[in-house]
Amino acid sequence: MTGAFAGRDAAEVDALVTDRYLETLLGAHARGADGGPSGAVPPDQIRSAARRLARDLPRLHPSFLFEEALAARLSEAASRMLSPASTGEPGRMVSLADDALADDALADDDEPAHEHHLTGRPWLLGGALTSAALSLAGAAYVAWRLNRPSSDPLLRAARVVARTRPV
Amino acid sequence: MARPAFWKVDRPEEGGPRLVHLDRDRRLVEAALADPARFEALYRKYLAQVYSYAFYELGDHHEAEDATEGAFLAALANLGRFEERARPADGEGASTFRVWLFQIARNAVAQRRRRQRRRRETPLEIANGVAATIDVEGDAVLHDSAAEAWRAVERLPDDRRRALILRFVDEMSTAEIAGVLGRSEGAVRVLIHRALRSVARDLDDPSR
Repeated sequence: MTGAFAGRDAAEVDALVTDRYLETLLGAHARGADGGPSGAVPPDQIRSAARRLARDLPRLHPSFLFEEALAARLSEAASRMLSPASTGEPGRMVSLADDALADDALADDDEPAHEHHLTGRPWLLGGALTSAALSLAGAAYVAWRLNRPSSDPLLRAARVVARTRPV
Repeated sequence: MARPAFWKVDRPEEGGPRLVHLDRDRRLVEAALADPARFEALYRKYLAQVYSYAFYELGDHHEAEDATEGAFLAALANLGRFEERARPADGEGASTFRVWLFQIARNAVAQRRRRQRRRRETPLEIANGVAATIDVEGDAVLHDSAAEAWRAVERLPDDRRRALILRFVDEMSTAEIAGVLGRSEGAVRVLIHRALRSVARDLDDPSR
């Protein structure tokens, strides 16, 4: 054996011949032409079955209503995804509870079946909130609270004690 | 049909030059990443393919619609995580948007299947549903032929049937099917060859 068939066992060679035949057949089918195979061809039975399937397994289309309803849902989801930078609006909390289907579809097919919807779990979209930002915001808040004069006499007394206490 | 673009590269270990996919959807994906509303172009382009795959897998229009919806919502929400690996250097791990989308669809279908509470339609009902699309032309012979072909496919083990559907209905290349199913191209070729052999035997057997 030579070329692409070198070093392959009989099953692999048969599979490769069938694959090349299908490439020609389906390519011609897509162009609406007759698929005239060249080179090695698979047995008659396989060629006949392949031609049958190419002709008899149609691609299906969902209903127009479904198509438009899903288009609207995607459009709605897309508008929620727009970043604050592009809209000039602040980030907002949205619930992804309705998008449980989307979450499921990403889960690994091989994982055991389990329910893991995001019901009620809020996500911040359109704004990057990192741990560093949280730390800076927290420090600024504490500093502001410490320097802000309090109307509570007990709190004022506690601050005086804290400031005069030796470190 | 949206056939993928190819790039010829030299792969001596594969017995000479081979064809590697380039992602024809790159511009659409980039547009959708910049403006999620433009995901609609990808949705319209692949709706029938994803829906067909789901219907042939689930055998129920409602279930197929649910799986299709889940797949597209997930694809939109996670588009930023899509990583095109369609350069020749990526070899067998090549992944185009279509492959990525079908990986999501495959998971959506698998999960619908596990949750499927409704009675699954019989192969005959599915066959009639498939063949009904041909009835528009009023050709009874074609209708029977389509029903018979589908019955032969439906009897295949899951992995063989899935590979055939992706090859014949969605018109994917072996490399793309390998990407969707997470197998090597060689394994997919053997899977399809054996599936066709089974279908051929089935169609030749008048007792079935």
